[in-house]
Amino acid sequence: MSERQPDMQERRILGTELLWSFGVGVLIAATLSIIVLTALTMGINPPSNVERADPKTLHLSGEFAEHNLGTSVAADGSVTARIIATQFMFVPHCIAVPEGRPVTLRLAAPDVIHGILITGTNVNTMVVPGFVAQVHTQFTRSGDLLMPCHEYCGLGHSEMWATVQVLPEGDFRPDGNGRVSCAQR
Amino acid sequence: MAREPDPRLQASSAADSRFDVADEVDEAALAAVMRYVPLGAGVLAGTAVALLVLGYLLIYALVFIPRGTVG
Repeated sequence: MSERQPDMQERRILGTELLWSFGVGVLIAATLSIIVLTALTMGINPPSNVERADPKTLHLSGEFAEHNLGTSVAADGSVTARIIATQFMFVPHCIAVPEGRPVTLRLAAPDVIHGILITGTNVNTMVVPGFVAQVHTQFTRSGDLLMPCHEYCGLGHSEMWATVQVLPEGDFRPDGNGRVSCAQR
Repeated sequence: MAREPDPRLQASSAADSRFDVADEVDEAALAAVMRYVPLGAGVLAGTAVALLVLGYLLIYALVFIPRGTVG
């Protein structure tokens, strides 16, 4: 009798552990399903882009030359904002984007590793010298949003921030060259 | 008056000392306790994990999703 009881106890403990393992497996599967479903149906993914840009010649010519920075609207209506992240500023310091339209942010760094996030949105990426960081997003509310550097980049890191000005569709008016600047306030 | 010697010093091994030997286990009482231990552990761990998952789902639905698309 006394030898059979420990067997029953061990079986009960084993049964509980198996039940727990099953429950944890269901939880993990449910969590992964939520992430995959959100990615497939709502387009929420970690930004991923492998595209090289020579940091030594970034400012001289090509996409990230000074005259090309800021927000531009292409002939097909797509909105792209090009930004340089450098010690210890963003160029341009203010980026105008439309509300409720897809926007592509493209960033490059000529010096050290930087990072950005835009407050109140899911935009968050590293900006690594030698690569172009690209984020597709859509802003749901108009207003001024803070865009600080979130990767320590030197003594002036805390001073490195920019403003993202989300304009209502009516106020987002490209000029003759398809360029849009922040409204002066 | 001679002092009573410490019984622990007299024992030749720890097993001979009544201070060092564990209490005798009452098998019936142990079996009674073990009937509830897995249930109690399950309820405690289940409640903790349920609270954690609830927090994750609330932040996901009320903070992460309204912040919009990104990719």
